[in-house]
Amino acid sequence: MGVLRDMMTALRGGASEVGEAIVDANAIRILEQEIRDAESAIGSAKQSLTRMKSAEIKLKREIATLDADAADYEQKAVAALNAGEEALATEVAERIAELESERGEKASEQATLDVEVRKIHAMIKSRERTIQKNKRELDKVRTVQELQRATESVSRNFAATGSSEHRVSKALERVKAKQEGWKDRMEAGEWLEGQEAGSDIDAKLRAKGIGASAGGASDVLARLKAKQAG
Amino acid sequence: MTLDDFAFRLNDYVDDEGTTFDALVTENDILEVVCSNNDEFPIHVTMTDTQILSVTPLFSIAEVQPEKRDELNEVFLRLSPAVPLSSIGLQGDTYILFGAMALDTRFQVVAHELEVQAENTIDVLEAVEHLLD
Repeated sequence: MGVLRDMMTALRGGASEVGEAIVDANAIRILEQEIRDAESAIGSAKQSLTRMKSAEIKLKREIATLDADAADYEQKAVAALNAGEEALATEVAERIAELESERGEKASEQATLDVEVRKIHAMIKSRERTIQKNKRELDKVRTVQELQRATESVSRNFAATGSSEHRVSKALERVKAKQEGWKDRMEAGEWLEGQEAGSDIDAKLRAKGIGASAGGASDVLARLKAKQAG
Repeated sequence: MTLDDFAFRLNDYVDDEGTTFDALVTENDILEVVCSNNDEFPIHVTMTDTQILSVTPLFSIAEVQPEKRDELNEVFLRLSPAVPLSSIGLQGDTYILFGAMALDTRFQVVAHELEVQAENTIDVLEAVEHLLD
Protein backbone atom coordinates (compact mmCIF):
# COMPACT_ATOMS: atom_id res chain seq x y z
CA MET A 1 0.00 0.00 0.00
CA GLY A 2 1.25 3.47 -0.85
CA VAL A 3 2.46 5.51 2.08
CA LEU A 4 0.56 8.59 0.85
CA ARG A 5 -2.79 6.80 1.19
CA ASP A 6 -1.72 5.63 4.63
CA MET A 7 -0.99 9.24 5.58
CA MET A 8 -4.32 10.44 4.21
CA THR A 9 -6.15 7.85 6.28
CA ALA A 10 -4.29 8.98 9.38
CA LEU A 11 -5.02 12.66 8.62
CA ARG A 12 -8.73 11.94 8.10
CA GLY A 13 -8.62 10.17 11.43
CA GLY A 14 -7.60 13.47 12.96
CA ALA A 15 -3.86 12.93 13.37
CA SER A 16 -3.08 16.52 12.49
CA GLU A 17 -1.46 17.40 15.78
CA VAL A 18 2.15 18.40 15.50
CA GLY A 19 4.46 15.59 16.57
CA GLU A 20 1.78 12.95 16.14
CA ALA A 21 2.86 9.97 14.08
CA ILE A 22 0.88 10.30 10.89
CA VAL A 23 2.36 7.15 9.39
CA ASP A 24 1.83 3.87 11.15
CA ALA A 25 5.15 2.77 12.63
CA ASN A 26 4.18 -0.75 11.63
CA ALA A 27 3.96 0.26 7.96
CA ILE A 28 7.47 1.67 8.16
CA ARG A 29 8.77 -1.51 9.78
CA ILE A 30 7.20 -3.58 6.99
CA LEU A 31 8.84 -1.44 4.30
CA GLU A 32 12.21 -1.71 6.06
CA GLN A 33 11.81 -5.47 6.56
CA GLU A 34 10.99 -5.92 2.86
CA ILE A 35 14.16 -4.03 1.96
CA ARG A 36 16.24 -6.24 4.25
CA ASP A 37 14.56 -9.41 2.86
CA ALA A 38 15.17 -8.30 -0.72
CA GLU A 39 18.79 -7.48 0.04
CA SER A 40 19.45 -10.87 1.62
CA ALA A 41 17.64 -12.62 -1.27
CA ILE A 42 19.86 -10.76 -3.72
CA GLY A 43 22.91 -11.77 -1.69
CA SER A 44 22.11 -15.50 -1.83
CA ALA A 45 21.05 -15.22 -5.50
CA LYS A 46 24.47 -13.81 -6.30
CA GLN A 47 26.09 -16.74 -4.48
CA SER A 48 24.02 -19.20 -6.56
CA LEU A 49 25.04 -17.35 -9.70
CA THR A 50 28.69 -17.84 -8.79
CA ARG A 51 28.12 -21.58 -8.27
CA MET A 52 26.24 -21.82 -11.57
CA LYS A 53 28.97 -19.99 -13.39
CA SER A 54 31.57 -22.54 -12.23
CA ALA A 55 29.21 -25.41 -13.25
CA GLU A 56 28.81 -23.77 -16.65
CA ILE A 57 32.55 -23.43 -17.13
CA LYS A 58 33.00 -27.12 -16.21
CA LEU A 59 30.26 -28.20 -18.69
CA LYS A 60 31.76 -26.14 -21.51
CA ARG A 61 35.16 -27.72 -20.88
CA GLU A 62 33.64 -31.22 -20.88
CA ILE A 63 31.74 -30.55 -24.12
CA ALA A 64 34.91 -29.24 -25.76
CA THR A 65 36.77 -32.41 -24.70
CA LEU A 66 33.98 -34.63 -26.06
CA ASP A 67 34.00 -32.71 -29.36
CA ALA A 68 37.77 -33.07 -29.66
CA ASP A 69 37.59 -36.83 -28.85
CA ALA A 70 34.82 -37.37 -31.41
CA ALA A 71 36.79 -35.50 -34.11
CA ASP A 72 39.85 -37.58 -33.28
CA TYR A 73 37.90 -40.87 -33.55
CA GLU A 74 36.31 -39.75 -36.82
CA GLN A 75 39.75 -39.35 -38.37
CA LYS A 76 40.72 -42.80 -37.02
CA ALA A 77 37.51 -44.36 -38.39
CA VAL A 78 38.25 -42.92 -41.84
CA ALA A 79 41.81 -44.23 -41.60
CA ALA A 80 40.49 -47.69 -40.62
CA LEU A 81 38.09 -47.66 -43.58
CA ASN A 82 40.89 -46.63 -45.93
CA ALA A 83 42.95 -49.51 -44.58
CA GLY A 84 40.01 -51.86 -45.30
CA GLU A 85 39.47 -52.54 -41.57
CA GLU A 86 35.65 -52.46 -41.73
CA ALA A 87 35.15 -54.19 -38.34
CA LEU A 88 37.51 -51.83 -36.54
CA ALA A 89 35.87 -48.82 -38.22
CA THR A 90 32.48 -50.00 -36.97
CA GLU A 91 33.84 -50.28 -33.43
CA VAL A 92 35.21 -46.74 -33.67
CA ALA A 93 31.88 -45.52 -35.07
CA GLU A 94 30.12 -46.98 -32.03
CA ARG A 95 32.54 -45.13 -29.77
CA ILE A 96 31.79 -41.90 -31.66
CA ALA A 97 28.05 -42.49 -31.24
CA GLU A 98 28.59 -42.90 -27.47
CA LEU A 99 30.58 -39.67 -27.31
CA GLU A 100 27.88 -37.83 -29.27
CA SER A 101 25.12 -39.01 -26.99
CA GLU A 102 27.14 -37.98 -23.94
CA ARG A 103 27.67 -34.57 -25.56
CA GLY A 104 23.93 -34.25 -26.12
CA GLU A 105 23.28 -34.84 -22.41
CA LYS A 106 25.84 -32.23 -21.40
CA ALA A 107 24.41 -29.71 -23.88
CA SER A 108 20.89 -30.14 -22.47
CA GLU A 109 22.32 -29.74 -18.95
CA GLN A 110 23.89 -26.48 -20.12
CA ALA A 111 20.60 -25.28 -21.61
CA THR A 112 18.81 -25.96 -18.28
CA LEU A 113 21.54 -24.06 -16.49
CA ASP A 114 21.11 -21.08 -18.87
CA VAL A 115 17.39 -20.94 -18.09
CA GLU A 116 18.16 -20.98 -14.34
CA VAL A 117 20.71 -18.19 -14.68
CA ARG A 118 18.23 -16.03 -16.59
CA LYS A 119 15.58 -16.68 -13.93
CA ILE A 120 17.96 -15.62 -11.17
CA HIS A 121 18.91 -12.44 -13.04
CA ALA A 122 15.21 -11.60 -13.43
CA MET A 123 14.66 -12.29 -9.72
CA ILE A 124 17.53 -9.99 -8.74
CA LYS A 125 16.08 -7.22 -10.92
CA SER A 126 12.64 -7.56 -9.40
CA ARG A 127 14.07 -7.54 -5.86
CA GLU A 128 16.08 -4.45 -6.73
CA ARG A 129 12.88 -2.78 -7.93
CA THR A 130 11.26 -3.62 -4.59
CA ILE A 131 14.19 -2.06 -2.76
CA GLN A 132 14.06 1.15 -4.83
CA LYS A 133 10.27 1.40 -4.52
CA ASN A 134 10.34 0.89 -0.75
CA LYS A 135 13.16 3.38 -0.36
CA ARG A 136 11.09 5.98 -2.22
CA GLU A 137 8.13 5.24 0.05
CA LEU A 138 10.33 5.56 3.13
CA ASP A 139 11.66 8.85 1.77
CA LYS A 140 8.09 10.18 1.62
CA VAL A 141 7.67 9.31 5.28
CA ARG A 142 11.04 10.85 6.09
CA THR A 143 10.08 13.99 4.13
CA VAL A 144 6.90 14.42 6.15
CA GLN A 145 8.80 13.84 9.38
CA GLU A 146 11.43 16.42 8.40
CA LEU A 147 8.80 18.96 7.31
CA GLN A 148 7.13 18.40 10.65
CA ARG A 149 10.42 18.95 12.52
CA ALA A 150 11.31 22.06 10.49
CA THR A 151 7.85 23.57 11.02
CA GLU A 152 7.53 22.61 14.66
CA SER A 153 10.53 24.62 15.86
CA VAL A 154 8.98 27.81 14.50
CA SER A 155 5.39 27.04 15.43
CA ARG A 156 6.58 27.22 19.00
CA ASN A 157 7.75 30.76 18.23
CA PHE A 158 4.30 31.52 16.83
CA ALA A 159 2.82 30.39 20.12
CA ALA A 160 5.15 32.73 22.00
CA THR A 161 4.79 35.81 19.79
CA GLY A 162 1.77 34.89 17.67
CA SER A 163 -0.70 35.86 20.33
CA SER A 164 -0.10 39.46 19.26
CA GLU A 165 -2.65 40.77 16.80
CA HIS A 166 -1.70 41.33 13.15
CA ARG A 167 1.62 39.53 13.61
CA VAL A 168 1.97 38.86 9.86
CA SER A 169 0.95 42.38 8.81
CA LYS A 170 3.39 43.94 11.23
CA ALA A 171 6.22 41.68 10.04
CA LEU A 172 5.38 42.48 6.42
CA GLU A 173 5.45 46.20 7.18
CA ARG A 174 8.88 45.89 8.78
CA VAL A 175 10.25 43.91 5.82
CA LYS A 176 8.84 46.37 3.32
CA ALA A 177 10.16 49.35 5.28
CA LYS A 178 13.61 47.76 5.20
CA GLN A 179 13.31 47.11 1.48
CA GLU A 180 12.28 50.74 0.91
CA GLY A 181 15.23 51.91 2.98
CA TRP A 182 17.49 49.70 0.95
CA LYS A 183 16.02 50.99 -2.31
CA ASP A 184 16.43 54.61 -1.13
CA ARG A 185 20.06 53.95 -0.26
CA MET A 186 20.59 52.39 -3.69
CA GLU A 187 19.05 55.46 -5.36
CA ALA A 188 21.11 57.78 -3.17
CA GLY A 189 24.19 55.83 -4.18
CA GLU A 190 23.29 56.14 -7.85
CA TRP A 191 22.64 59.88 -7.45
CA LEU A 192 25.99 60.39 -5.76
CA GLU A 193 27.72 58.44 -8.51
CA GLY A 194 26.00 60.66 -11.07
CA GLN A 195 27.12 63.79 -9.21
CA GLU A 196 30.67 62.59 -9.07
CA ALA A 197 30.64 61.71 -12.74
CA GLY A 198 29.16 65.21 -13.51
CA SER A 199 31.80 67.08 -11.54
CA ASP A 200 34.42 65.06 -13.34
CA ILE A 201 33.16 66.42 -16.64
CA ASP A 202 33.05 69.99 -15.28
CA ALA A 203 36.63 69.68 -14.11
CA LYS A 204 37.70 68.40 -17.54
CA LEU A 205 35.90 71.30 -19.28
CA ARG A 206 37.54 73.85 -16.98
CA ALA A 207 40.93 72.38 -17.70
CA LYS A 208 40.32 73.02 -21.40
CA GLY A 209 39.11 76.57 -20.72
CA ILE A 210 35.49 75.68 -21.67
CA GLY A 211 32.43 76.61 -19.61
CA ALA A 212 32.20 78.78 -16.49
CA SER A 213 35.30 80.89 -16.08
CA ALA A 214 37.24 80.44 -12.87
CA GLY A 215 39.33 83.63 -12.62
CA GLY A 216 37.46 86.72 -11.27
CA ALA A 217 39.81 89.74 -10.80
CA SER A 218 42.03 89.07 -13.81
CA ASP A 219 38.94 88.87 -16.10
CA VAL A 220 37.59 92.16 -14.72
CA LEU A 221 40.96 93.90 -15.14
CA ALA A 222 41.23 92.67 -18.75
CA ARG A 223 37.71 94.03 -19.45
CA LEU A 224 38.59 97.45 -17.94
CA LYS A 225 41.81 97.63 -19.98
CA ALA A 226 39.88 96.81 -23.14
CA LYS A 227 37.37 99.63 -22.35
CA GLN A 228 40.17 102.17 -21.70
CA ALA A 229 41.87 101.30 -24.96
CA GLY A 230 38.53 101.69 -26.78
CA MET B 1 27.32 18.29 2.10
CA THR B 2 26.21 18.34 5.75
CA LEU B 3 24.07 21.06 7.29
CA ASP B 4 27.16 22.39 9.10
CA ASP B 5 29.19 22.64 5.86
CA PHE B 6 26.27 24.31 4.20
CA ALA B 7 25.85 26.85 7.04
CA PHE B 8 29.57 27.62 6.93
CA ARG B 9 29.55 28.39 3.20
CA LEU B 10 26.26 30.26 3.32
CA ASN B 11 27.49 32.73 5.97
CA ASP B 12 30.32 33.83 3.65
CA TYR B 13 28.24 33.97 0.51
CA VAL B 14 26.83 36.94 -1.39
CA ASP B 15 24.73 36.03 -4.40
CA ASP B 16 24.42 37.86 -7.73
CA GLU B 17 21.62 40.06 -6.42
CA GLY B 18 23.62 41.13 -3.38
CA THR B 19 21.65 38.96 -0.93
CA THR B 20 23.55 37.79 2.13
CA PHE B 21 22.65 34.94 4.48
CA ASP B 22 22.78 34.34 8.23
CA ALA B 23 22.78 30.61 8.84
CA LEU B 24 23.00 28.63 12.04
CA VAL B 25 22.34 25.01 12.95
CA THR B 26 19.86 24.82 15.83
CA GLU B 27 20.21 22.38 18.70
CA ASN B 28 17.57 20.11 17.15
CA ASP B 29 19.68 19.86 14.00
CA ILE B 30 17.79 22.20 11.73
CA LEU B 31 19.53 24.87 9.70
CA GLU B 32 17.91 28.24 10.24
CA VAL B 33 18.61 30.69 7.42
CA VAL B 34 17.79 34.40 7.42
CA CYS B 35 18.16 36.01 3.98
CA SER B 36 18.95 39.73 3.88
CA ASN B 37 16.02 40.34 1.50
CA ASN B 38 13.53 39.13 4.17
CA ASP B 39 14.76 38.93 7.75
CA GLU B 40 11.31 38.50 9.32
CA PHE B 41 10.56 34.99 8.09
CA PRO B 42 13.52 32.62 8.52
CA ILE B 43 13.82 29.51 6.37
CA HIS B 44 14.36 26.15 8.02
CA VAL B 45 16.50 23.73 6.05
CA THR B 46 16.72 20.01 6.69
CA MET B 47 17.78 16.90 4.75
CA THR B 48 16.47 13.40 4.06
CA ASP B 49 18.39 10.58 2.33
CA THR B 50 17.55 12.08 -1.06
CA GLN B 51 16.34 15.65 -0.60
CA ILE B 52 17.15 19.06 0.80
CA LEU B 53 13.95 20.57 2.22
CA SER B 54 13.49 24.28 2.88
CA VAL B 55 10.51 25.33 4.98
CA THR B 56 9.20 28.81 5.79
CA PRO B 57 6.39 28.66 8.31
CA LEU B 58 3.94 31.42 7.36
CA PHE B 59 1.19 31.53 9.98
CA SER B 60 -1.00 29.22 12.01
CA ILE B 61 -4.62 28.35 11.22
CA ALA B 62 -5.57 30.33 14.33
CA GLU B 63 -4.26 33.51 12.68
CA VAL B 64 -6.74 33.22 9.80
CA GLN B 65 -10.08 35.01 10.14
CA PRO B 66 -12.37 32.05 10.91
CA GLU B 67 -14.92 32.90 8.18
CA LYS B 68 -12.13 33.34 5.61
CA ARG B 69 -10.46 29.93 5.96
CA ASP B 70 -12.11 28.35 2.89
CA GLU B 71 -11.28 31.40 0.82
CA LEU B 72 -7.66 31.30 1.99
CA ASN B 73 -7.32 27.60 1.12
CA GLU B 74 -8.68 28.21 -2.37
CA VAL B 75 -6.46 31.24 -2.92
CA PHE B 76 -3.44 29.14 -1.88
CA LEU B 77 -4.40 26.26 -4.21
CA ARG B 78 -4.71 28.71 -7.11
CA LEU B 79 -1.58 30.64 -6.17
CA SER B 80 0.76 27.71 -5.59
CA PRO B 81 1.43 26.79 -9.26
CA ALA B 82 2.29 30.43 -10.00
CA VAL B 83 4.91 30.74 -7.27
CA PRO B 84 8.38 30.09 -8.71
CA LEU B 85 10.37 27.24 -7.11
CA SER B 86 8.29 27.08 -3.89
CA SER B 87 5.03 25.34 -3.00
CA ILE B 88 2.45 26.17 -0.37
CA GLY B 89 1.29 23.56 2.11
CA LEU B 90 -0.19 22.85 5.47
CA GLN B 91 1.94 21.13 8.08
CA GLY B 92 0.05 20.38 11.26
CA ASP B 93 -1.65 23.67 12.12
CA THR B 94 0.86 25.80 10.25
CA TYR B 95 0.74 27.06 6.68
CA ILE B 96 4.18 26.70 5.12
CA LEU B 97 6.04 27.72 2.00
CA PHE B 98 8.50 25.00 1.05
CA GLY B 99 10.97 23.87 -1.54
CA ALA B 100 12.60 20.50 -2.23
CA MET B 101 15.87 19.90 -4.03
CA ALA B 102 17.90 16.81 -4.86
CA LEU B 103 20.64 16.14 -2.33
CA ASP B 104 23.39 16.69 -4.92
CA THR B 105 22.15 20.17 -5.94
CA ARG B 106 25.02 22.66 -6.36
CA PHE B 107 25.57 25.09 -3.49
CA GLN B 108 24.88 28.21 -5.61
CA VAL B 109 21.59 26.74 -6.80
CA VAL B 110 20.46 25.98 -3.24
CA ALA B 111 21.39 29.51 -2.16
CA HIS B 112 19.42 30.91 -5.10
CA GLU B 113 16.39 28.79 -4.13
CA LEU B 114 16.56 30.13 -0.58
CA GLU B 115 16.73 33.72 -1.80
CA VAL B 116 13.74 33.17 -4.10
CA GLN B 117 11.82 31.47 -1.28
CA ALA B 118 12.46 34.48 1.01
CA GLU B 119 11.17 36.75 -1.76
CA ASN B 120 8.16 34.48 -2.44
CA THR B 121 7.25 34.61 1.25
CA ILE B 122 6.64 38.36 1.03
CA ASP B 123 4.63 38.06 -2.21
CA VAL B 124 2.47 35.21 -0.90
CA LEU B 125 1.78 36.91 2.44
CA GLU B 126 0.86 40.18 0.71
CA ALA B 127 -1.68 38.26 -1.38
CA VAL B 128 -3.50 36.83 1.65
CA GLU B 129 -2.78 39.48 4.29
CA HIS B 130 -6.40 40.69 4.15
CA LEU B 131 -7.65 37.21 5.15
CA LEU B 132 -5.61 37.13 8.34
CA ASP B 133 -6.45 38.43 11.78
